[in-house]
Amino acid sequence: MSSYPKPLPEVTPLTKPFWEASKRGELLLQRCKNCSTYIWYPRHICINCGSRELEWVKASGKGKVYSYTIVRQVIGNSPEFSKEIPFVVAEIELDEGARICSNIVGVKPEDVSIGMPVEVFFEECTPEISLPKFKPAR
Amino acid sequence: MSGFRGIAAISGYAETPFSRARVDKGEPRLTAEEYYAWALELLLKQTGLEKKDLTGQGVGIIGSEWPHSEIWSAEAIQNLGLEPKLLVRADHGGANAAALLVQGVLAIQAGYVEHFLMLGADTPLSITGPASRTWRYDENYLKPFGTMGPNSLIAMAMRRYMNDYGAKPEHFGTVSVVQRKHATLNPNAYLKTPLTMEDYLNSRLISDPLRLLDICIWVNGGFAILLSSASAAKRITDKPVSILGFGEWHNPNAGQPMHDITTTGVKIAAEQAYKMSGITPRDVSLFQPYDDYTVAVLMQIEDAGFCKKGEAGRFLEENDISYQGQLPVNTGGGQLSAGQAGMAGGFLHFVEAARQLRGEAGQRQVKDARIGLVTSLGCVGFEGHFINNYAVVLGGEV
Repeated sequence: MSSYPKPLPEVTPLTKPFWEASKRGELLLQRCKNCSTYIWYPRHICINCGSRELEWVKASGKGKVYSYTIVRQVIGNSPEFSKEIPFVVAEIELDEGARICSNIVGVKPEDVSIGMPVEVFFEECTPEISLPKFKPAR
Repeated sequence: MSGFRGIAAISGYAETPFSRARVDKGEPRLTAEEYYAWALELLLKQTGLEKKDLTGQGVGIIGSEWPHSEIWSAEAIQNLGLEPKLLVRADHGGANAAALLVQGVLAIQAGYVEHFLMLGADTPLSITGPASRTWRYDENYLKPFGTMGPNSLIAMAMRRYMNDYGAKPEHFGTVSVVQRKHATLNPNAYLKTPLTMEDYLNSRLISDPLRLLDICIWVNGGFAILLSSASAAKRITDKPVSILGFGEWHNPNAGQPMHDITTTGVKIAAEQAYKMSGITPRDVSLFQPYDDYTVAVLMQIEDAGFCKKGEAGRFLEENDISYQGQLPVNTGGGQLSAGQAGMAGGFLHFVEAARQLRGEAGQRQVKDARIGLVTSLGCVGFEGHFINNYAVVLGGEV
């Protein structure tokens, strides 16, 4: 067991390819083979057309901030996060057309804005899990 | 379906006193089971019914933070000594009461039962066992990034709402301040200290732009509402509150990976409810929108058709939403000030609407209250939208 003190996602047969790619520094998204809809979070069926033929494809890792919040108080999550306050949680619209929730780092919280171009990087938490996080696009 | 008038009515309602289980302040620390018992006793007293009158009728009950058993409705009726013909359970979060109401009136309309007892209690402040697990999308794809439950998701919806429509902190503050004013006139409200706009603006940021005074306050409490056929309701009370129409919609824009999170499914639900009841927003004497957060109230003012999308801020500048105003909103203080009884929180809006439409709201009574609109939201989804959405039109006469 790792000593990583904050919550981590459960790795399931469905999400294993995603987390393995994250370790290699690649952001994957599910794409429907039937209707080409991109999907995040991982599903067992296309939310658009109902096909179960979903494939993992490499995403550009680029997107824009759809919205964000500056977390200033820990309520209902690990107390470890209090060491990082204030920090930014954001919904990012990936260029492929799906929204992912993550953090925006490498910029002062007050300088984050809606529409800001961002790009993915990976933060290694444990040997199994690297979380996709975002920073302002170069 | 249209022309629902004359089919079913709220024939009784009960609300227990609320508590934050502050034993040091003399507040009771009760279990959900005790609140269920208390609410049922209050309802029987108000309606003059005996428990056996409910035998062979319908019962609907909600889940709660604790106990959260796999099989709960059976245990609850066994605890209460109820013997129904129809037994349903809601797991619709803030929309629990609305979900039970729709199931109940459909069962009454079908002639399957004559009465349907809605029960809701929760004790979020004195959970005696392990807290229930949240959604897996929350655990796997949100919490690892430090989201703080619905606070963070709603904060992002609020930010986007402010960005898209130019809403200001004062607009959200108006909801907070006016609802507190209503709470000062509600003996059962938990927060009764008057608030000013300055108090609101000075309240601390929890998840920027969300302030403490944008968020409802948890209480322990219980409710019971009796739905009856129109004819049965008349035998119970001379003040039945008719169900004139309703609508619901779940997981709007389900197939869209990216959708607008500043509009709720109440838009679709309210259109249905208006069509079914044959009324328009102009006919509404009082509005009880789900108020886990102030921004939800602004969105529902728009989505229920009281103004155009994005114009709730201006609506609040130009209209008085107090019980004396053009559109009285959450006239008992709502969950922001009266309190959110956990998973039973959405009962508050129906009880307050019924109380107002029966002319029993005391100092905060809306004058000439004829038509009430209750809108309910439940379960904040992955992107910060509400999954469960309801609108119910209530009228003073069957």
